[in-house]
Amino acid sequence: MPDTLQRLTLLESIIGAVNLGAIVLDENRSIVLWNRWLERHSGWKADTVLGRDFFEVFPELQHKRIESAITQALRDNFQSLLSQSLHKSPFPLYPQAAATSDGRERMQQAVAVTPISLPGAPRHCLIQITDVTVAVGREKLLREQTMVLRSQTFSDGLTGVANRRHFDVAIDKEMRRAKRSGSPLSLLMIDIDHFKDYNDQYGHQQGDTCLKQVASALATMLNRSGDVLARYGGEEFAAILPDTEPGKALMLAEAIRKGVRALAIENGHEDGAARHITVSIGVATQSGAAPLDIDQLIGAADRALYQAKDGGRNRVASTAPATPPA
Amino acid sequence: MDHSKQVLVVDDSRVSRLMAHQFILSKHAGWQITEAATGEEALEKVKALDPYLILLDVNMPGMGGVATAEQLRALYPQTHIFLVTANVQNAIRNRASELKVGFMEKPITEVRIHQLIDTLEA
Amino acid sequence: MVNLSELENDALVEIFNIGVGHAAAAMSEIVNEEVTMSVPSITFLNRADAAALLGSKRDGDRICGVSQHYDGAFATEAILMFPEDKSLEIVRLMVGDSVPLQELTEMEQEAMSEIGNIILNSCVGTLANLFDSELHGSLPVYHVGTSTEILAVFGDQGDDVVLMLHIDFVLAKHQIHGYVAFVLDLSALHDLKEQVNRYLAKVFGTA
Repeated sequence: MPDTLQRLTLLESIIGAVNLGAIVLDENRSIVLWNRWLERHSGWKADTVLGRDFFEVFPELQHKRIESAITQALRDNFQSLLSQSLHKSPFPLYPQAAATSDGRERMQQAVAVTPISLPGAPRHCLIQITDVTVAVGREKLLREQTMVLRSQTFSDGLTGVANRRHFDVAIDKEMRRAKRSGSPLSLLMIDIDHFKDYNDQYGHQQGDTCLKQVASALATMLNRSGDVLARYGGEEFAAILPDTEPGKALMLAEAIRKGVRALAIENGHEDGAARHITVSIGVATQSGAAPLDIDQLIGAADRALYQAKDGGRNRVASTAPATPPA
Repeated sequence: MDHSKQVLVVDDSRVSRLMAHQFILSKHAGWQITEAATGEEALEKVKALDPYLILLDVNMPGMGGVATAEQLRALYPQTHIFLVTANVQNAIRNRASELKVGFMEKPITEVRIHQLIDTLEA
Repeated sequence: MVNLSELENDALVEIFNIGVGHAAAAMSEIVNEEVTMSVPSITFLNRADAAALLGSKRDGDRICGVSQHYDGAFATEAILMFPEDKSLEIVRLMVGDSVPLQELTEMEQEAMSEIGNIILNSCVGTLANLFDSELHGSLPVYHVGTSTEILAVFGDQGDDVVLMLHIDFVLAKHQIHGYVAFVLDLSALHDLKEQVNRYLAKVFGTA
């Protein structure tokens, strides 16, 4: 009948014109449809694959996700999705027709496997393949741009405090100012104790939350207008305290140490007792009369931090001669 | 003739134990089958047995199938020991190989149990 | 409301354990790492209690859900749920990325959808195969929102029951707790109970 024939021709044209790959398998997993899009992007004509077992054509796909997806479609009547991020390019398909295996990269694919019910025939299986190379590329670009933007700003993406870039600029500025005005400048290096253990035990997401909490507490305690708090490294913070004598710096450091401990963030156990997140703090001061280089001041603070760690953690140590508060 | 052999079936699911029990008897009605719900219970009950075959569910609370298999293998170097799991992947295959135990895939079906017994008798 | 005998409960828990076990094997093959999953327990709840169970310590904490619709021998909305940060963790572990962005990107959402697809199809597939039932499943849909929002996405029939599976997911020493919820109306619940009974009778009744 002309009508049905016309409809059939129409549908075949559509399958030939759609911008995605369509493979249909029968109940024995033999290929019964291989559309024009696939011919273009695989370099294989339909008559070279029709009638063959799917896994004879694609032996590398045996025992992989797509095999169980095909089984679930044919046997269980379930649909499956193979995302690009978990299976970048399962099929040997390329962006342009002629480029089979001449070193060109396969196109990034998203695959959907769908059961097809036919009246009076066993279930068939449709495999749809979409080229997502452009979308993936766009997302990669967006990510890279975000990273670049981040590095150009002055605040640390995670905690919101100043980032290392800002610290480097600030310490230079403050030391020159202190030298010019002959005033003391103190530097605190604050490092979270046993942070690696925390990450290992509670996971990185919670590690990030812990960093945010500690940073927030530090920011609250270091609220004098000239002070600069920055995230210096992974779990390390630095505080620049202009116009601050050693005694005052030590007091502030001790208050910070107590403040972080008071957050009472659990960090597993040690010798049977509950352990909490604490910081070790190294304090160094350059006097107004004897200014140092940036490296010397940071080095002194680092050595003090090392002393604090070595001395048992959760404590403050300094390398400048300390005058305890009266 | 059906010599009576002793089998220990270990699984925290009662339905699983009953199924394994039933499928073994359907092949060898004379075999004597003991059940345990945990690895710990298995180690207790095995003391009273001279086990020919032990089936161990991998996913159990407490000791777990693999740790139990390790202990049982040390106590009974000749007994046929099989780990039973729905999660067949390289890690468990390697572990079974190291411990010199076999493994059987879940769901437990009569076909699978009979095939397992056939391989023992081959 | 829901009366399952101890044996019926045991059978369901065991069937779902087999389902997630198969899913874990599939995921392990994808990432080439050891993956284990288990269902320590199941509970039947009404929708409000289910939402409360999923709602976390802080109000407004978001959940990532992947849902699929099944119909045929029984009809249900199946939803895999993890707290948002855990979903992020799972996807990053599976995809192997470590970009410190707060939310799942679109491509990662697709990965999460596939993870849901694998787990849900495996659970329901095992059920369907053991019960010898004919079902049809949809493609996964990704949602993010509060637990109440996610459970309400499919409308709100007053007498719906939620069959909640507690899931323990372990990938390379990362242990993550999540849920699979099956939303069932009373007739689907009845069908399910009948299927469990028929299954038990088939296995043991003839002994």
